[in-house]
Amino acid sequence: MYEVLEDFAQTNNLRETSPGLKLFIGTASILLCVSSPGPVAPLLVAASMTAAVLALAKIPARFYAKLLLVPVSFSLMSIAAILFITAGGTVLLEVPDLPLAITADGANLALLLLARVFGGMCSLYFIALTTPMTEIFDILQRLRVPAVLIDLAMLTYRFIFILIEEAGQIYRSQVMRLGYGRFRESVRSFGMLAGALFIRTWESGEALMLAMDARCYDGRFGMPGETRPISVPALACGLFYLSAVLAVSLSTGGLVII
Amino acid sequence: MHIMEGFLPSPWWEIWILISLPFVAIGLYQLNKLVRERRETLPLLAVAGAFVFVLSSLKIPSFNGSCSHPTGTGLGGILFGPCIAAVLGLIVLVFQAIFLAHGGITTLGANVFSMGIAGPAVAYLVYKAGTRAGANTYATVFIAAALADLVTYVVTAVQLALAFPGTVGFLGAFTAFAAIFAVTQVPLAIIEGAIIMLVFKYIVQLKPEILTRLNLLSESTVQKLREAAV
Repeated sequence: MYEVLEDFAQTNNLRETSPGLKLFIGTASILLCVSSPGPVAPLLVAASMTAAVLALAKIPARFYAKLLLVPVSFSLMSIAAILFITAGGTVLLEVPDLPLAITADGANLALLLLARVFGGMCSLYFIALTTPMTEIFDILQRLRVPAVLIDLAMLTYRFIFILIEEAGQIYRSQVMRLGYGRFRESVRSFGMLAGALFIRTWESGEALMLAMDARCYDGRFGMPGETRPISVPALACGLFYLSAVLAVSLSTGGLVII
Repeated sequence: MHIMEGFLPSPWWEIWILISLPFVAIGLYQLNKLVRERRETLPLLAVAGAFVFVLSSLKIPSFNGSCSHPTGTGLGGILFGPCIAAVLGLIVLVFQAIFLAHGGITTLGANVFSMGIAGPAVAYLVYKAGTRAGANTYATVFIAAALADLVTYVVTAVQLALAFPGTVGFLGAFTAFAAIFAVTQVPLAIIEGAIIMLVFKYIVQLKPEILTRLNLLSESTVQKLREAAV
């Protein structure tokens, strides 16, 4: 999954667009989603981000739909709680024998939150699917994020791919030997997997240290910075889109900033 | 428990970012010092961060068949202390937000606080207290990791209840969120405690140098644990 995401980030149709602009549009959309008091603007963000991912970046729709399903279960639990603790307005549904009821206010709040989460998720995927991580590091460096943090993040990023590969291999061989047959066994196997993975990780970290020392590592990574100028039409489109969302947000109840 | 992107309304996500900021700053300062003194720490911390990311993206076995993921916060806290764990947590959470849409950019502050600061701090304190009291190492690790998980979810419930008191007030909302999360999180905390304990056991058996080098176990304790296992 991760490799696939990164593959798309490297090969999609918006690859040559300035990474700064993409990051700016993504984060600005997220901020607009969070500050919108009505569900219309976040839904508009979700729709336009989806359109940008599918039509402009040419990501396969089936793959994108699968991605959107990933975080659904995480959000449903919290939404359920909010639905029941917010009272006010007309009662829409009552749970028999329990002091639980869904009211209009609770439903409205839940709808707003769902719209915000959905809009935010689409914006996050817009960034993830169009901008390779290395370019984000480059931007962070220019934003004067501490070098030690960026170095650590880059190394971590590199190792994630190696480790996922290894974890997958260990997991598959455990499954083949019936390691996840019963609950007790699966806890034991998972502990074994995590332990073996940690030790292998540590060893490859030590090996990396030697390799970097051998290549005169002096505590700083060099990053080949290639700058792509922001094209004027792209910037204009982005600004037009953001102001449209802002206008929709304003016309459906204003903007909530603190 | 990741709070989703867009879930926290306006004053709250800014507040949690402000609360998390000093911890991350202290962590960065410590990190800078460590890296300057011992250069090998950077790659080792990086692999630890990657390990936490991979661990948290694996499905953990659970009773009810629901999909749950370990947080790995306990291990980070025990190994590196709460402030550096906060920096690692920040990096892991940014990657999770961008790769998996677990968590998000605006909710980063709240998530860093619950998973990168509160959880590891509890794990660290419990582990230190346990070793000082001379308790069984594995039992200490189990309790530290399980408690870190529980604290993480209690903090998340507090964060959500503060942002959405509803009409029942903070306490009522907290009970509601905590009750809903408890269904999945309490068994999960116990399982994660057991798993981290097993991880610790494997490290002691196969590569105890890691633990002695991080000053987590003395040579004599390692010797004793290994003899007990035979």
